[in-house]
Amino acid sequence: MNKTVIGILTAGATLASVPWLGLPAFYESFLYLICHWMILALSWNILSGYSGYFSFGHGAFFGVGMYTSAGLAANLNWPFLWTLPAAALMAALLGLTLGAVVFRVKAVRGELFALLTLAITFVVGTIVLNTRIDGGPGISLNSTPVPALGPTASASIYLMALAAAVLTLLIAYKVQSSKLGTGLFAIHDDEDVAEVMGVPTFRYKLLAFGLSSALAGLAGGIHALFVSYVTAGETFTIVVPLTVVLMSVLGGTRHWAGPAVGATVITCLLYFFTAGNSPVAGKAAVGVILVVVILFMPNGILGFFFKRRAATQGLVAEATSALALAKEQAHAAVEESGPAVHRAPAPLVGPQILLDVRDLSKAFKGVQALDKVSLQVHEGEILGLLGPNGSGKSTFINVVSGHYPTSGGSIIFSGQQLAGLPAHRIAQAGIARTYQIPRPFAHMTVLQNVALVAMFGGAALNHQQATEEAWTWLEFTGLQDKANALPDDLNLHQRKFLELTRALASRPRLVLLDEVLSGLTPGEINEAIELIRKIRERGATIVFVEHVMRAVMALADRVAVLNHGKLIAIGSAHDVMRNAEVVSAYLGTPHA
Amino acid sequence: MSCAMLKSSVLTWEHRMLEVNNILVNYGAAPALWGVSLEVKTGEMVCVVGPNGAGKTTLINAIAGMHRVRGGTLSFNGSDITQLEAHRFCEAGIAIVPEGRRLFTQMTVYDNLELGSFIAPAKAKRKESLEYVLSLFPALKVKLQSPAGALSGGQQQMVAIGRALMARPGLLLMDEPSLGLAPAIVLDMFGAIRQINAQGTSVLLVEQNVAMAMALAHRAYVMEEGHIVAEGLASELLTRPEIQKAYLGLDVPV
Amino acid sequence: MSFPSFNLLAQSILSGIFIGGLYGLIGLGLGLTWGLLRQINLAHFGLVFLAAYLSYHMATVWHVDPFLTLLILPPLFFLMGAGMQWVLARFQISPFNSLLVTFGITVVIESCIQAVWTADYRRLETHYNDMKFTVGSLYIPVPELVTLVLSVSIAVLIWAGMRYTDLGKALRAMAEDGQIAAAFGINQKGMSLMLAGVCAALAAVAGICLALTFTLTPSQIFAWIGVIFAAVMLGGLGSAIGPLVAGIIIGVSEAITMAVASPSWAPIVSFSLLILMLLLRPGKI
Repeated sequence: MNKTVIGILTAGATLASVPWLGLPAFYESFLYLICHWMILALSWNILSGYSGYFSFGHGAFFGVGMYTSAGLAANLNWPFLWTLPAAALMAALLGLTLGAVVFRVKAVRGELFALLTLAITFVVGTIVLNTRIDGGPGISLNSTPVPALGPTASASIYLMALAAAVLTLLIAYKVQSSKLGTGLFAIHDDEDVAEVMGVPTFRYKLLAFGLSSALAGLAGGIHALFVSYVTAGETFTIVVPLTVVLMSVLGGTRHWAGPAVGATVITCLLYFFTAGNSPVAGKAAVGVILVVVILFMPNGILGFFFKRRAATQGLVAEATSALALAKEQAHAAVEESGPAVHRAPAPLVGPQILLDVRDLSKAFKGVQALDKVSLQVHEGEILGLLGPNGSGKSTFINVVSGHYPTSGGSIIFSGQQLAGLPAHRIAQAGIARTYQIPRPFAHMTVLQNVALVAMFGGAALNHQQATEEAWTWLEFTGLQDKANALPDDLNLHQRKFLELTRALASRPRLVLLDEVLSGLTPGEINEAIELIRKIRERGATIVFVEHVMRAVMALADRVAVLNHGKLIAIGSAHDVMRNAEVVSAYLGTPHA
Repeated sequence: MSCAMLKSSVLTWEHRMLEVNNILVNYGAAPALWGVSLEVKTGEMVCVVGPNGAGKTTLINAIAGMHRVRGGTLSFNGSDITQLEAHRFCEAGIAIVPEGRRLFTQMTVYDNLELGSFIAPAKAKRKESLEYVLSLFPALKVKLQSPAGALSGGQQQMVAIGRALMARPGLLLMDEPSLGLAPAIVLDMFGAIRQINAQGTSVLLVEQNVAMAMALAHRAYVMEEGHIVAEGLASELLTRPEIQKAYLGLDVPV
Repeated sequence: MSFPSFNLLAQSILSGIFIGGLYGLIGLGLGLTWGLLRQINLAHFGLVFLAAYLSYHMATVWHVDPFLTLLILPPLFFLMGAGMQWVLARFQISPFNSLLVTFGITVVIESCIQAVWTADYRRLETHYNDMKFTVGSLYIPVPELVTLVLSVSIAVLIWAGMRYTDLGKALRAMAEDGQIAAAFGINQKGMSLMLAGVCAALAAVAGICLALTFTLTPSQIFAWIGVIFAAVMLGGLGSAIGPLVAGIIIGVSEAITMAVASPSWAPIVSFSLLILMLLLRPGKI
């Protein structure tokens, strides 16, 4: 068990002793409220903060949990503690059903997702109010026996909430530091790229939503006993989600403890104002805080402090034992045999066909971007993909890597049909790509960007191994000094190389490069050419789209030319570039 | 009117209308253009050619005010426009036909044309300008009330050119107007461009179709990887080795 | 569920139309800034209620005729709206963050309202309240009628402006491709300020109508958010007439639901429509 887990459990145990300290009951209620909001804010953050899918529907899950407990306890006389898992389960069911439907609709993200979840809250609330679940008068839990966990009823309720809060903290921490968390953060920054890099986005979002809603339901269940009189009008409103958003944003959505900090601060603040007989001023203060935080501290309190600490200590590699070890091991590995890429007889081209594309077509709203393109790529070869602007080269890469679905034709990679597979499966099969305009995960460091692909791509390494692997590749491409920098701090050349490093980290068999050299200075282009050669020497097959002709001439074994979506020539570079059709495709036909 | 006739007609090209002096333009943190200098004299048609990624669009956008210039100067008709706000370039006398047309697709052709003459001096002459545009592109007469997004590629290009002309510019910037168009339409379009230039509007043209561009223009610049590698009279440039190398990667002895 | 008499049904539909008109009026400003400026301005609701309370105050305490407030408040709010936009523009926030910031502003406005006018119910009582026309056996109250007339005329006016005037076209162009619009002389900053000001003025008009037809209490601000969003999204962002039509459809369906089933089922109509819309045609937004 690591330090954080021990810390959380210790804090929980300490706070659990409060009821026996002989303090007035008020303290238990106050601490209960803090725990209550902590659970809600932390659980919300697991989906919304980590992945960026801001949900305004937390009230629905909370309400479902509350009514499940209330209904089971008051109407069916279940022992109260048994209603809690039921509450969590019902809420999770709602969340998972909702997620299964909504996450399939690609366009519902951002504000639309927020509004959809808000609408769900009101619909669920209306249904609850009008059917036998509530029916109008609400449900009273006055006669429900409170489980005797502590010396008094209020103490017991407090202890239940405390236990739930500790559980939620642990789950939030575990998720963030796990593969799930990394995947969610990638989805936050760029969901489409995450999918192409191997993250199973649909599954992860669903999982996070399920966890989030279950915990909210749990909080609701406990709250039913706390208020002891449950009404729909008070529950299914916009208040819960908005408060929860505020608390998480204030504390910092990227850190597992952020919402806990926010919940504590806001609860204390609101209490302070209510006690001072100016609850209205309290509300106003909360509003002002939200405005100020979004405008000046968009990363929240924790984000703000961590950033300052990083800045003052300089961008030096955090000397965690894991990282130092990784560096040593990586050095040893490089000296021995170099990074392990799929081995093939290097550097000559093998006879086997690695990628067999037949009649590949792709249409966008009436524009035929690819028109029955057929070509084969041999194992170990470097194939240049050329053509004038708009000829379909980038589309080819996008379709083969799964970024876009095909409109027809087949893509057979090492015997496996790829057409129709979701992008993350294509990545896991051993295909990697770079983006013409670099799309790194903006909130992750260079090292984390590369490690992520090592975790989710074809290599499928665990966290520790992935970091080591990432380090190795950063040394290979020369970016090791920037390992802890954010992508924004890199210049274009470095960002392009980051794209390249990311593509290599999954130990792919086929690397698709999309205009890696555009925008580089002549010197940088020379470096890049050398690097690409080295990559092939280590056993990868490369298809690259390029306009910098001297690079094409220097690197390509063969060249394929597209024009208006059709393949018009394929063969050795020198032959193809003298082909009359190719020349006129590029230079146009003169008209006297 | 053949190319030969155009080039031998008498024009005084003394006055420098557009002067681009040693500009540096960045794309994000890295330089996209450096040390780029060119000029367009009054009444000239100048073209800029080069492979993709050479920076041609960045150059045109910088001259149109759509992209900030970090070093060097831009001057137009004698005044320094380097630090001018983006929406003031049009009143200075520069209008653009952007890459990919970028029409206001949700609005009608007529609205698009009207918007070209949004600025006050152009608005005063709106009716005349519209007649001129329709005389150049008669096919648009029946399409005036159609939404711009519904037109074919060639028709959209006509609207884009027309929109820029409605601003009554001294200098017309055109970014790859032949992109994605069928050859026959390209011919007509270049004919129109020729006419526009003959009527006195200076043109700075970026084109992928090198042969066509060279046939039209008086002078040309060749760009590669962010700076200018060759310049001269269009008639001479087509056979220069720099073009063969830049586009086809071939080291062809002349 | 008992099926109501024809008279009751007709009256319900009529009141549905009236409230739909108010939905459309409130939604108009929200939809315009969302569609044209890519900002989700929750503060719009705060402004609507602020105007409602101000007109209540002016009418009740200073004895100003409520219809006169229509001349005073909108220009004032125009300045407020432009001012808020000016401040927010300096931060260049994403559409989502604009949602959160304006929510914060709304909370502040709500608190100020509560501080000044307390949470008690406030009803603007004027002699207009009792005026109504009778058509057959249907009652048409004057304040509601005025609201509907204002709502429809303003929507049509704005629609025509956007469609036929240079300024309107410039706004639409700016929303579609700001960079190219600027290349043709359209000053984005100036336009945004003006638009924000106009929408705030619209909020003021909506607020005055709200005060004339409803009882006010600060917590109501949040109750309206859901149904107005439904109207705006169904009607189309950036559209002038869309939210009005959608609002009336929602209002009438709610009214029929209330008459046929029970009032508490009403919210399900607008929200279900919203959900379906989001799932089936999200691209339309």
